Amino acid sequence: MQGDPNPLKYTDIHNDVVASIVETGSNYYVALATALALTLICFFFPWFYQLYYGIGAAGMNHPGVWGTYLASFIFWIGLSHSGTLLSCVLHITNSSWRKAMYRSAEAMTLFSLVVAAMMVMVHVGRPWFIHWTLPYPNQMEMWPNFRSPLLFDVMAITTYITGSTVFIYMGSIPDFAAVRDRTRGWRNTMYSLLSLGWRGTDREWHRLHWAYTFLAVLIIPLAVSVHSIVSWDFAMSIVPALHQTIFAPYFVVGAIYSGTAGIVTVMFVLRKFMDFGEYITELHFDNLGKLLLVLSLLWSYINIVEIFTGFYSGASGETEALRYRLFGFYAPLYWEMITFCAVLPLLCAFKRFRTSFVPMLYLSIAINIGMYTERFLIVATSLSRQYLPDAWGLYVPSAVEISILVGTLALFTTLFLLFVKIFPSVSMYEVKETMDTPKKIPAAASGGSLA
Amino acid sequence: MSFLDRIAEGWRKNRKPGYYENFDYHWTMTIDLDQCSGCGACVTACQAENNLPIVGEKAFAKGREVKWLRMEHYWEGEYPDVKLNIIPMLCQHCDNAPCETVCPVSATYHNQDGLNTQIYNRCIGTRSCAVYCPYEVRYFNYNDHTWDSPLDQQLNPDVSVREKGVMEKCTFCIQRVRQAKDTAKDDGRRRVRDGEVQPACVQTCPSQAMAFGDRNDPESNVSQTLAGPRAYRVLDELNTKSSVVYLKKVETEA
Amino acid sequence: MTHFVVGLFGDPESALSAAGSIQSADLGTPELMSPVPIEGVEEVLGEKRSVIKRFSLFGAIFGGVSGFLLAAITAVLYAHPVGGRPIITFPPYLIITYELTILFGIIFTVIGFFVSARLPNGLWTSFWKQDENRPYVPEAAVDKFAVSIGCGVDDVQRAETILRAAGAEAIRDGTEGVS
Ligand code: SF4
Ligand code: SF4
Repeated sequence: MQGDPNPLKYTDIHNDVVASIVETGSNYYVALATALALTLICFFFPWFYQLYYGIGAAGMNHPGVWGTYLASFIFWIGLSHSGTLLSCVLHITNSSWRKAMYRSAEAMTLFSLVVAAMMVMVHVGRPWFIHWTLPYPNQMEMWPNFRSPLLFDVMAITTYITGSTVFIYMGSIPDFAAVRDRTRGWRNTMYSLLSLGWRGTDREWHRLHWAYTFLAVLIIPLAVSVHSIVSWDFAMSIVPALHQTIFAPYFVVGAIYSGTAGIVTVMFVLRKFMDFGEYITELHFDNLGKLLLVLSLLWSYINIVEIFTGFYSGASGETEALRYRLFGFYAPLYWEMITFCAVLPLLCAFKRFRTSFVPMLYLSIAINIGMYTERFLIVATSLSRQYLPDAWGLYVPSAVEISILVGTLALFTTLFLLFVKIFPSVSMYEVKETMDTPKKIPAAASGGSLA
Repeated sequence: MSFLDRIAEGWRKNRKPGYYENFDYHWTMTIDLDQCSGCGACVTACQAENNLPIVGEKAFAKGREVKWLRMEHYWEGEYPDVKLNIIPMLCQHCDNAPCETVCPVSATYHNQDGLNTQIYNRCIGTRSCAVYCPYEVRYFNYNDHTWDSPLDQQLNPDVSVREKGVMEKCTFCIQRVRQAKDTAKDDGRRRVRDGEVQPACVQTCPSQAMAFGDRNDPESNVSQTLAGPRAYRVLDELNTKSSVVYLKKVETEA
Repeated sequence: MTHFVVGLFGDPESALSAAGSIQSADLGTPELMSPVPIEGVEEVLGEKRSVIKRFSLFGAIFGGVSGFLLAAITAVLYAHPVGGRPIITFPPYLIITYELTILFGIIFTVIGFFVSARLPNGLWTSFWKQDENRPYVPEAAVDKFAVSIGCGVDDVQRAETILRAAGAEAIRDGTEGVS
């Protein structure tokens, strides 16, 4: 932006961002209606059927009691990891390239978390009693079990949702205020409420900066802990191939990996359909590509370690689980995952690849498909091969599960589409900060300087 | 006692592991694999006693049958030189039960009899206990079950019928244990006599391969058997400290 | 009654120097309004300290202590023997402690932010009476830098002169608020 012969002015950004909220084309409504309809048909309808019939509507059975619902849960939690986490790290390290993209990345975090929380509801057998996992005094004289890894999850995810909501909201207050002055009617009321009367005084900026930094410092360890805790749902069991110390770092790396890929996808879409081409540039794709490369190498490394330790232990349960994952019924999925997550991302070593938008889009989608497969395999292969061979089995997802899987994507899209019309999806004030400040203009007629 | 005292006392009492060794009873089952003929009478008895659902052909094909007690079959050798090993597998009522720690709502916990209990009303159906159990003996209700007439007339009134979305498993016929304890109390006895409680499977076993008793009582039948050389526990290396003890089959060289 | 004089500037440097001259003219501490944080405010108007860090620290400690007690005390009150583990088990309770430390740290940081930035204020809703002590110029959210100073009616003229001398593009009385 800096070296541009025709530099953007503050007002341009302002107009662009306000326009992205206020001016709504018919395409937007078509997209929203489609997403909403898909959400209803593919997500809520099958889910209501499942509530009525029981979890039997899904394909789970005796050894395979967990299925795609749990895999989706991990996947969405993982996808949430790059938004707020990346944004916090980049905020603290003062990287200016973060500024154009972080708002949408944080929104991704928030909505992935919402979808993940929905997946918990879909997953459990009696979601109408899900509030029993919360510690609230009740007449039943019952209390949640604080020793359970699942309760760690409840705690961690509640904290995470609170933290990311607060973080995205606090960063948006100045932008809400800026939009407030440009809107009329119900929008004006909404933004007045949201902006809390922000005036942009020196005091407010100072406080915002510090509060924001403290939040970032608090959220980084939180995000790392959240996915470690999710991994402990598995690693704390004694199921062969799940009971492993490497699981926490494995999940955290996997989460950041798929989250970064998710950001690339969202960046592409925003660039393409929201006319943010001036703010989301090749520089962003280049940097994200480098990040993807590093993460894919880390991820491959952990996978190799996992295989090696399993093989080296020589314990019959471990080796059988390993053999089954690599060469058993689900083996095609395994090798698909390796191709998508370990081999293809190596292309990011080339700058030409990193800076071309469409190939990066394909790569990011491939990575997320691979990462979903990874989560599915963790659940499916380990549960079908446990200690007692008599209880070995096979789990195949049912139509309801697949429909809900598609439905969650639609749900996420719906939320995101609503977001871009409510939140300024590019952070105005931070983009303004990266630009040259307006220079002193020679005394003009408008101002009138005193001699 | 004031609130703080209650906390202090609870703290002192419960800080150390192994408090369960002080339980009133420590129910244990022994299964003699040498005597077991694999007839499956225990499976049927359990089904009748505990209102187990009959899931039907379709659900069975999907692998959703509910059998708190199942016969595991292991074939050895190549045809025609084959040997069949059978082992009845039920909840082992582990003292260090992995299934208990994972339940977020404490729907499964250890009671004062050393039993691993399942509270159906409290269960929210996360199914994580079934994953954590290394013996794969927990069964989930994938849907509501119905009993065709006249089977609905034979449901045991002492045992609840489970709704969809809850986990269930062998209870060591807790209703019978309860009853025996009540009878003992009515008779003015402090403890249940050895052999007074018999779970349905033990009662039914035609070859008397199964026995049930209190391990806390050194005189009891099971305590005696436990000391024997053939006693072993399944997956003992996982440190689950299970309460079902198997007696090894005596191999006769042909 | 305080009158407010607001000068609008096209660039941060002149706004800053205007603020400096207002201060040195003994008219009180001016308030700057800007679309982006201005660098170097502290050199001109003096260092700023905020109480936010105290709030964060207090929140984190409060959360940590209450998190551990929540898990440990209730575990004693609802003694459920589980998995042969002690009723008060430190490793899992430390995780609860950790999460609640962060949760309350976050909540208290937000409260600290609201308290120390004096938000929400009179501009919040149209239902609230417009706060006369908080002048606002909508341009300051777009691309103008505003310096506002509240002074007695006698000083208004002087303040305006200083602002104009520093190169103000326009002078407002700061009462129009939000549209
Ligand atoms: S056998 Fe399984 S269900 Fe029974 S107590 Fe042990 S771990 Fe729990
Ligand atoms: S003890 Fe009772 S519940 Fe358990 S397997 Fe035997 S009959 Fe079934």
